[in-house]
Amino acid sequence: MSAEVEDSSNILPSEKPAVDSNKEEKKVQKRITDDDLYRHSSQYRFWSFTVDGLKEKRTEINENATAKVKEALVKFVDTKKDILSERELQTIQSKATPLTADEELKLVGFYAKKVQVIAQHLNLPTEVVATSITFFKRFYLENSVMEYDPKDMVHTTIFLACKSENYFISVDSFANKAKSKKEEILKYEFKLLESLKFTLLNHHPYKPLHGFFLDIQHVLHGKVDLNYMGKIYDKSKRKITDALLTDVVYHFSPPQITLAVFLNEDEQLIRKYLELKFGEQTNEIGTTPTPEASKEPTDSKKPDEKKEDKSLSQSKINVDKLLETIISCKEMIESFETISTQDAKLIYAKNYYCKNPNVIVQKLKRKLEQISQDDSSNEPRIDKKQST
Amino acid sequence: MSMEYSKEKKVGEGTYAVVYLGTQHATSKRIAVKEIKTSEFKDGLDMSAIREVKYLQELIHPNVISLIDIFMAYDNLNLVLEFLPSDLEVVIKDSSVIFNAADIKSWMLMTLRGIHHVHRNFILHRDLKPNNLLISPDGIIKLADFGLARAVPGPREILTSNVVTRWYRAPELLFGAKHYTYAVDIWSVGVIFAELMLRIPYLPGKDDVDQMEVTFRALGTPTDREWPDVSTFPTYNKLQVYPPPSRDELRKRFIAATENALDFMCGMLEMNPTKRWNAIECLQSDYFKELPPPSDPADIKIFHD
Repeated sequence: MSAEVEDSSNILPSEKPAVDSNKEEKKVQKRITDDDLYRHSSQYRFWSFTVDGLKEKRTEINENATAKVKEALVKFVDTKKDILSERELQTIQSKATPLTADEELKLVGFYAKKVQVIAQHLNLPTEVVATSITFFKRFYLENSVMEYDPKDMVHTTIFLACKSENYFISVDSFANKAKSKKEEILKYEFKLLESLKFTLLNHHPYKPLHGFFLDIQHVLHGKVDLNYMGKIYDKSKRKITDALLTDVVYHFSPPQITLAVFLNEDEQLIRKYLELKFGEQTNEIGTTPTPEASKEPTDSKKPDEKKEDKSLSQSKINVDKLLETIISCKEMIESFETISTQDAKLIYAKNYYCKNPNVIVQKLKRKLEQISQDDSSNEPRIDKKQST
Repeated sequence: MSMEYSKEKKVGEGTYAVVYLGTQHATSKRIAVKEIKTSEFKDGLDMSAIREVKYLQELIHPNVISLIDIFMAYDNLNLVLEFLPSDLEVVIKDSSVIFNAADIKSWMLMTLRGIHHVHRNFILHRDLKPNNLLISPDGIIKLADFGLARAVPGPREILTSNVVTRWYRAPELLFGAKHYTYAVDIWSVGVIFAELMLRIPYLPGKDDVDQMEVTFRALGTPTDREWPDVSTFPTYNKLQVYPPPSRDELRKRFIAATENALDFMCGMLEMNPTKRWNAIECLQSDYFKELPPPSDPADIKIFHD
């Protein structure tokens, strides 16, 4: 695993009382925090990465698949080299090029969006939609689109997400509603579960959304309009689902993502809230050490100096640090773009040709036949030209 | 079949799984392999299997069964679990095993630590009973069977009340409540505690209707006074109204129990789920602070040599 997972197994209670009743003694006997619990989650252990770690992972998946695709192409050309013309060989070479890691990512992003649209179209609860997106993306962190066609995985992930979120629909009625086939839905279900490393529990940002929604009203009591808050809540809920399509899910904790979405809706409100909530306190708050949050900004060549600096000045640091984290999360959400259907089709076609070089040959043959037909019937063509 | 493990003896067969005893070759450790019979399910992976995998992957605690590995073989899903040779049901039923108040306290402490961990991870077990409290070779209690578990519901989420094995079912479930929380698990623990003291099932209803009868005869029929609006449950009107047992009646029923032990039990068997003790209150109760201290799990003699 490339994630910098802290080994915190020693904080589980064994011989000492499971609950430390004396809150005053917090410093002496460490109490397990929500952050500690989150670090035990499979989401943190298996599915959180640094930016570099994630990139590395994608490159590796891409390289492995590329090698396989190339090997298959060489084999194809090898077995048919006596039949294939020079021109055919050239066309294969130019059209059947394996996808780059970036193209893969774009295609996955495009189909992840499709998963969202289809799941929403099926009227599934928000959490099921979110889990569908998450499963789909995680599958392609372990597999390449060059090995598993994203089209084949869309319904499979939604169906498994339904079951995993306790929203059972029989496969027959699901197939019926999704206009798919039972066999196709179930074909890769095992493969999916295995690729998910058998981890199914997701912590989505909706629960923190509700929590912050209530807490903001509490902390800013009398200073914030309830109707207004309701609107922000609804908008943010939709934005969270969109954020799940981006890479922030791998670098930030669910509450950080929620705050980033909130910040986008009303920066002043959130700044005020964080100031009032955390401004006076020291330590411990707002430092959920997701890989990205615990990393110093990359532009700093002297991370140690900076760290020391921060730990010296007190109370304000954490709000600042928290804001810094949230803002970088927000920026990452904003920088995400889904590609157009046209671009997706191009990448998809490229991928298709790689796996089916025969199609290129046949297409070329048909094209040549067409041309030669056209050539042999010169007159009508001229006729046509004249008539226009 | 994975080369890392061997299956040696079939020890149980449930509706959706077969359990084998085996060995993990690398460590020579005894293990249990739960083979999920996937082929029998037309809807793909079975819900119980999904729940079990989903929750056991997250719960890492000394008092929760540990999921060592998962692998696929012949299209079957295999869960490799730690080897746990006994359970509380076996112990309660085995008349040759003698256990005392300190042993019971030790078991309750371990059980509640496990439940506290489950609950603080926002998970409900929903099927606690002696049979699902397994015991390791060194006497440690481990919560098992998460096939009915689910996430703690959101405020308005609708749930099925058809959960928990009948004798251990909380009153809100008996009433068919569409929403409930952690309190259903705590009730089960209360009933298990009573059963450990009595060494016979405490509330053995013959069917769902009888379960209400048995429960309320023993503990009193709840009224709107201590549980506002309980009478609005559809089945409430048909109930015979029993008075709650007096302290003396409880003392007579649970002869060996101390006052703190009775408080502890009553806290868990509180009718109103919002007043029922939570796992933290249970763990902090005076019952655990008074003598005798809980036994060292390894010293409780439950295995025959």
